[in-house]
Amino acid sequence: MNLRLHIWRQAGPDATGMLKTYDVANVSEHMSFLEMLDVLNEDLIGKGEIPIAFDHDCREGICGTCGMVINGRPHGPVAKTTVCQLHMRTFKDGDEIYIEPWRARAFPVMRDLIVDRGSFDRIMQTGGFISVNTGNAQDGNTLPISKINADHAMDAAACIGCGACVAACPNSSAMLFTAAKVGHLGALPQGQTERSTRAMNMVLQMDVEGFGACTNHLECEAACPKGISVEFIAQMNRDYVASVFGGRD
Amino acid sequence: MRAFGDVWRSNIFQKWVMALTGLMLVLFLIAHLTGNLLIFMGAEHMNEYGHSLRELLHGSAIWLARGGLLVAFVLHVWSAILLTRRNRAARPQKYVKTDWRTSTMASRSMALSGLLILVYVLYHLAHFTLGTVHSQYYAGQTGWEYTLANGTVVPDVYRMVIASFQEPLITTLYVLSMVLLGLHLNHAVASAFQTLGVTNRRISPLVRFLGPVLGIGVALGFCSLPLAVIAGLVH
Ligand code: HEM
Ligand code: SF4
Ligand code: FES
Repeated sequence: MNLRLHIWRQAGPDATGMLKTYDVANVSEHMSFLEMLDVLNEDLIGKGEIPIAFDHDCREGICGTCGMVINGRPHGPVAKTTVCQLHMRTFKDGDEIYIEPWRARAFPVMRDLIVDRGSFDRIMQTGGFISVNTGNAQDGNTLPISKINADHAMDAAACIGCGACVAACPNSSAMLFTAAKVGHLGALPQGQTERSTRAMNMVLQMDVEGFGACTNHLECEAACPKGISVEFIAQMNRDYVASVFGGRD
Repeated sequence: MRAFGDVWRSNIFQKWVMALTGLMLVLFLIAHLTGNLLIFMGAEHMNEYGHSLRELLHGSAIWLARGGLLVAFVLHVWSAILLTRRNRAARPQKYVKTDWRTSTMASRSMALSGLLILVYVLYHLAHFTLGTVHSQYYAGQTGWEYTLANGTVVPDVYRMVIASFQEPLITTLYVLSMVLLGLHLNHAVASAFQTLGVTNRRISPLVRFLGPVLGIGVALGFCSLPLAVIAGLVH
């Protein structure tokens, strides 16, 4: 198939960017979206042009490195799919595709489609961990955890930190990501000691980074490649206010 | 503990303020609507109700309610403006293309519908409560007294409502504002419960249903007055 792509090109963090149009011919429907961009980049390199910069690593939908907004949807049109797992068969010959980076003040563009997600790391550093010693692998089994709690924690732990929730949110809010982390550790016994300070610190760090406030559009849940539920946001709202009024520290 | 100022300024805390005050306003609206619907029971009931509101607890109840509403309203608008400004700032560079999946016109224009409601509320108070606009219909003027069955002379609120809604301009503004209010509530109610964290997988569908029900119910309820007046059902 032949496609016309409009891709955001920006030379560096302070450069002004703009959409540039590229025609790509003979795209196989078996390619992933990133492979299609690889082909375009080969072509650009051959012509002596600068290839399009985009983030990627595992290319199997588990690492959370890739991400771009395709025709207004983070990770593209298919639900619960990262862009590296998006296949060209979802598009058809003659399609025009707009490709833009995540847009948020807290995710500044570094180059083309690559944004700096250091703000997520800094949120994690304020509370996305536990400080108790959990021992070695076999010690994990000595602490019984109910199936319900284990499943609940796993649902939250599925978050790969890609940032699509922020990109999808009309307010660039990081609530779904942060709630997944707070909810994951909060569902497990090891996470209880720091539960209250964790919610407090991670929430305040979100604000410091300049993410917006949630207005419950639920766009994040729909865009999340791992289907993280907004139920975790409700829980974080509870945990945060509980930590305000009853928090120990 | 963190300094209270940090907490107070935080997005989630401001969201709680907005949700709690918003729900207070919703409760008030339901009470207000119930009172308004007395118009269908005739002049005696409506005027008697208006009179009893002003007399309750020797006249202090109405001032307590007004004070509470004012505080709720000011806090609601304050947090709404604060958060809306932060949310705008959180995305300095817009997308060229957007393709929303779950958000709606109503949910994306809460600040606009809210601000228009604010303008409407000020106008509404100037009209029905203070009589500074459309003063020719004000129930507090001389010649507009109504004598209740028990002999008490009270302002004829019933006549004020009917005379006002016979004016097309007033009715049009009123109906449009109620549509905006309906749109605001359509998103607001479910949003408030989610903000307060009282939702979970089981009750979320119910809560998400409540918004449209209340939004349409409140808007239709309030609109039934001017519509009934125009249709000549109450006179
Ligand atoms: C009778 C009047 C009003 C009622 C009953 C009402 C009710 C509500 C409720 C229940 C919420 C949900 C809170 C939450 O999501 O946490 C809300 C949100 C909101 N209100 Fe109001 N409101 C009223 C007037 C206003 C006014 C005057 C403004 C104006 C500036 C305003 C602006 C907003 C905004 C921006 C939101 C946030 C939307 C969101 O979180 O999705 N509202 N309102
Ligand atoms: S919650 Fe979903 S969309 Fe957000 S960072 Fe995690 S995996 Fe990505
Ligand atoms: S590259 Fe790892 S999730 Fe897409």
